[in-house]
Amino acid sequence: MKRILIILAFFAFFKPAVAQEADGRAIGNFFKASGTPANPKVQISWNRYYTNEGLLDIYRQLERAHPNLVKLQSIGKSYEGKDLWLLTVTNHNNKPHQEKPAFWVDGNIHANEIQTAEVSVYTAWYLAENYGNNTFITQLLDDKVFYILPVMNPDGREYYMNQPNTTSSPRSGTMPLDDDGDGLKGEDGFDDLNGDGHITQMRRRNPYGNWRSDPNDPRRMVQAPPGEFGEWELLGWEGIDRDGDGRLNEDRDVGYYDHNRDWGWNWQPDYVQRGAYLYPFSLPETRAVRDFVLAHPNIAGSITHHNTGGMLLRGPGAAEDAKYYLPQDIRVYDALGELGERIIPGYDYLIVHKDLYTVYGGQIDWFHMMRGVFTFTSEMFSRYYLFNEKPQGWGWGFAEDYFTFDRYLLFEDAFVPWEDYDHPQFGKIQIGGFKKNYIRNNPGFLLEQELHRLTAFTLFHAYHTPKLEIVELTTNDLGGGLREVVAVVANTRLIPTHAGIDLQFNIERPNYISLEGANVLAGMRVIDRDLNVVEEQKVNPAVIEVDNIPGISTVTVKWIVEGRGTIAVKVDSAKGGVVILTEDE
Amino acid sequence: MKMLNPGVVLSMNQLKETNHLHFSQKQKSKTKQISRWYLFLFLAFAFLLLAAPFHLFANQNQVSSTDYPNHQQLGQQLQALSRSHSALARVQSLAKTEGGKDIWLLTIGTGDIDNKPALAIVGGVMGDHLLGTELAMQFAGKILASSAEENVRNLLDSVSFYIFPDMSPDAREQYFRTPRYERLGNANPTDLDRDGRIGEDGYDDLNSDGLITMMRVKDPTGEWIKHPDDERVMVKARREKGEIGEYLLFSEGIDNDKDGQFNEDGEEGVFFNRNFTFKYPVFQRGAGEHAVSEVETRAIADFLYDAKNVFAVISFGEANNLTKPLSYSEREANARLHTGWKKEDIAINQKISHLYNKHLEGAAPEAKAGSDGDFFQWAYFHYGRFSFSTQGWQVPKPESAEKDEYNSAELSFLRWAEENQLENVFVPWTPVDHPDFPGRLVEVGGVAPFVMKNPPYQMVDAIAEKHTAFILDVARLRPQIDIVNLKTEKLGRDLTRVTLDVLNRGTFPTASETGELVRWMQKTVMQVNLGPDQAIISGKPVEVMGAIGGRSSEQRSWLIQGRGNVTIRVGAEASGFKEVTVNL
Repeated sequence: MKRILIILAFFAFFKPAVAQEADGRAIGNFFKASGTPANPKVQISWNRYYTNEGLLDIYRQLERAHPNLVKLQSIGKSYEGKDLWLLTVTNHNNKPHQEKPAFWVDGNIHANEIQTAEVSVYTAWYLAENYGNNTFITQLLDDKVFYILPVMNPDGREYYMNQPNTTSSPRSGTMPLDDDGDGLKGEDGFDDLNGDGHITQMRRRNPYGNWRSDPNDPRRMVQAPPGEFGEWELLGWEGIDRDGDGRLNEDRDVGYYDHNRDWGWNWQPDYVQRGAYLYPFSLPETRAVRDFVLAHPNIAGSITHHNTGGMLLRGPGAAEDAKYYLPQDIRVYDALGELGERIIPGYDYLIVHKDLYTVYGGQIDWFHMMRGVFTFTSEMFSRYYLFNEKPQGWGWGFAEDYFTFDRYLLFEDAFVPWEDYDHPQFGKIQIGGFKKNYIRNNPGFLLEQELHRLTAFTLFHAYHTPKLEIVELTTNDLGGGLREVVAVVANTRLIPTHAGIDLQFNIERPNYISLEGANVLAGMRVIDRDLNVVEEQKVNPAVIEVDNIPGISTVTVKWIVEGRGTIAVKVDSAKGGVVILTEDE
Repeated sequence: MKMLNPGVVLSMNQLKETNHLHFSQKQKSKTKQISRWYLFLFLAFAFLLLAAPFHLFANQNQVSSTDYPNHQQLGQQLQALSRSHSALARVQSLAKTEGGKDIWLLTIGTGDIDNKPALAIVGGVMGDHLLGTELAMQFAGKILASSAEENVRNLLDSVSFYIFPDMSPDAREQYFRTPRYERLGNANPTDLDRDGRIGEDGYDDLNSDGLITMMRVKDPTGEWIKHPDDERVMVKARREKGEIGEYLLFSEGIDNDKDGQFNEDGEEGVFFNRNFTFKYPVFQRGAGEHAVSEVETRAIADFLYDAKNVFAVISFGEANNLTKPLSYSEREANARLHTGWKKEDIAINQKISHLYNKHLEGAAPEAKAGSDGDFFQWAYFHYGRFSFSTQGWQVPKPESAEKDEYNSAELSFLRWAEENQLENVFVPWTPVDHPDFPGRLVEVGGVAPFVMKNPPYQMVDAIAEKHTAFILDVARLRPQIDIVNLKTEKLGRDLTRVTLDVLNRGTFPTASETGELVRWMQKTVMQVNLGPDQAIISGKPVEVMGAIGGRSSEQRSWLIQGRGNVTIRVGAEASGFKEVTVNL
């Protein structure tokens, strides 16, 4: 592990310097804080959240300010017909982005997990604003391309922001479904009784209830001690039993379905995997991503952003698929995951099925196992960040530190004070509790730091997608009009051109290493150059097929050719990009 | 990719000939061989005349033909059926395939079709199974032809039929194209051998007969020999008996991409019957990019998930749980990812299997388990409906083939074909020059494509009669919700206790056990609609009920305060609805 990190550090920082933004003195009205542009072309406040329209405005500004770096396109439409906006970020001037190793970023697949869009946009913004000013970023955008979809579920994002919700609702898009099986769709959802746009709790005074007000903070409900009655009963989330079936809020206006159970690997139906829809890619949003990913086989790494809990997750989602994460690939994941734990304090690097729960039909499984793409899920924000302490357990919503933090750092902005309400079914009750933008979404002043740290992790992950370089091209005269040409191709990054499962099932075509400029009579892969162990490729020897170029390694190929003339070697790798080297004569 | 080697391009005349080539029975009778067949037919017809509510010759919609219809003719037949029975039948195209062909749906029924129990009938599950399409089509033709008869008419008033005659139209069309070969894949360009090149090594019609058959190469490393009893048939040498192989055996073609394999990546794409979500055979040949990736599979899945009223699916394909019912495995039925049928569902399978054998009279093809990613298992495990599948027919094993030590299906077929005087079922082995085997003896020949999986067209009608009668009997066993034993007890001062039994009059339960788990299978809902100034004192105003078994009932009661009428409605699309009005 240490060795890999050292290699990683070596390749990250030993680069020729590019012209740095002047930071020894003020630029106009600004003086640079390290690591952040002092006067970016696109000014964005990273302490608030943006609507779909607000985000689109940022995308357009980025495209206008950085026309050679940022391109905007819609890759499809949501259930409601909203555009799925994708940013392609790279140096668009040096070579076509399809010929560069690519990194996929997406956010907001789950409606309520909104800061995942902001982190995706921050990544695009940070790349664009630092290109030409920072050596690492400049090289990264010269070598790689980023495909960034900040909002996979725009219907859900808008619905979460503009309709009454809890911090956990909705996860889905806005398609209505029959959640309670009574044949009607969405007939008994939340009711925003106090009209504040938040769905909070309902409580009723009851001398035989189990709950009391916390003497230290009367807003907080605590359970009565054993053997004693409390003063309140809790009645659940704000709502009315609209359909008279004896249950509250059991069939919400938007159906319960989960975009992250709708992917093509080990898909299972709803009765096995809650949230699955009809079949893989049966939702328009996931289908659009599938179409784009299949059309871009250069994607070699990816991250999909979620909340909550402070985690970097890798697959598989189900224990039975652990065999498809081969040891050589796990080493790569571990190197990246452990780096992530270091640079994002409060985050843990975990495995979905083992450390969290079983997920069938999850996105990262499809990316890794059916596309051979090295993929992480982030789970943004956690209770850790309230006081930078590892909390005990989740304490969802009623834990004391959420109240303390709200009181001393947010000045009670995150809480809807308990107020009386006359409920048609429960009579005199009170409504109150934490707002939907608390618990899961970062408070404003904690947002920018996490966006930056997670972006940094993303950039190092992207950095370690394959980088292929032809490090040697040698010709030897064999006499009798024959020449021997030897080419050595290095992958100077951690991620191989083909993951283990890719090699097992031939997911992606092999790498093609071809010789141009001479008549090729024979071609071979060199297994051991010193002892001349070779493997001849009898068919089409000018284009040698190489199954894999592993991370931090080289492969060697050899041709026997006739004729003179300048030769060129071309490496054409789906995930490693296209590289050409012409022999200098 | 090229299908034809430039050296063996067919002339237009040859193309024309091969297009018209079909296997058929010789017309003139030869008493000895044929008498047994005619006796069989006669008995089958006689049975049907007695057992079925309609008869063979009442079918005026059948386009008279000597061969299976192609896609265009199929469309015409469907249009003709819906035109001549516009009150009962409606045809629609659910989607267009990559090959530009329609996915047809023929809906038969009356009134509120989508809110009555329905059967889905599916053909073309396998692109090389022409019979399946024909059985679905003839089912439609026969019930429409006899729809004037009272018992059929009554059935059509209470059951709907969704008929999907051909789910593999791109593949099936290969029967009518040159060269003819047994094809399963659609027209979606697919890298079948996953080598990064699409369709680079298909079949090649080396002997220019318009058919893709086999190719044998004389070779001392080969494993194959000629069958000692019939030199036309190739069998594997039994090395344990001292036999020595003499031939290599391949399908007819050239190793176009020189990878050492023959015809492993041709024109065909994804197989309908390998592209479903249950045990999806990821990365396997013909399975596609992921489950339900294709126009065909999406079209039927989307339609059926919306069709809440389907209680059972009958498909014609490779699986068969009708000749023998599936067997129960407690472990498989109760695993988290259950792969075995649930116990009560097996009991229904047993009943339906019994019915099938009664209709097929010993001609039922052999039982066969489902395959990974197939339609048959999807319909049960993921769609949650009762799912029945049969091949419809298999080559009968003649006595003369029973003693074959090699147990060769081809030998058996050839014997049977001779007894029935079938023509054009075998291509004699003829030497060809083969670029991959210069100077070697390479012969092309063998059993013609399609003939072992599909009976001669003239035999189909009798097979269709039996299957039609069988399907109608299945429809008669549909779940049927009813309300019986309605009782009101006055408790005084406008307080009434209402009691009733919800009865399922059918043999099928209102949902299969797996269907109970499936979110998209509508549960039985009971709803009490109160009038003004009425209140429920006890009992549920709305109840989502569990499945009610065949010929089983559940009792419910309410205490209702008030006067006047209360209506109680119970049911679901797949078992029908019943509403009663109660006077308090």
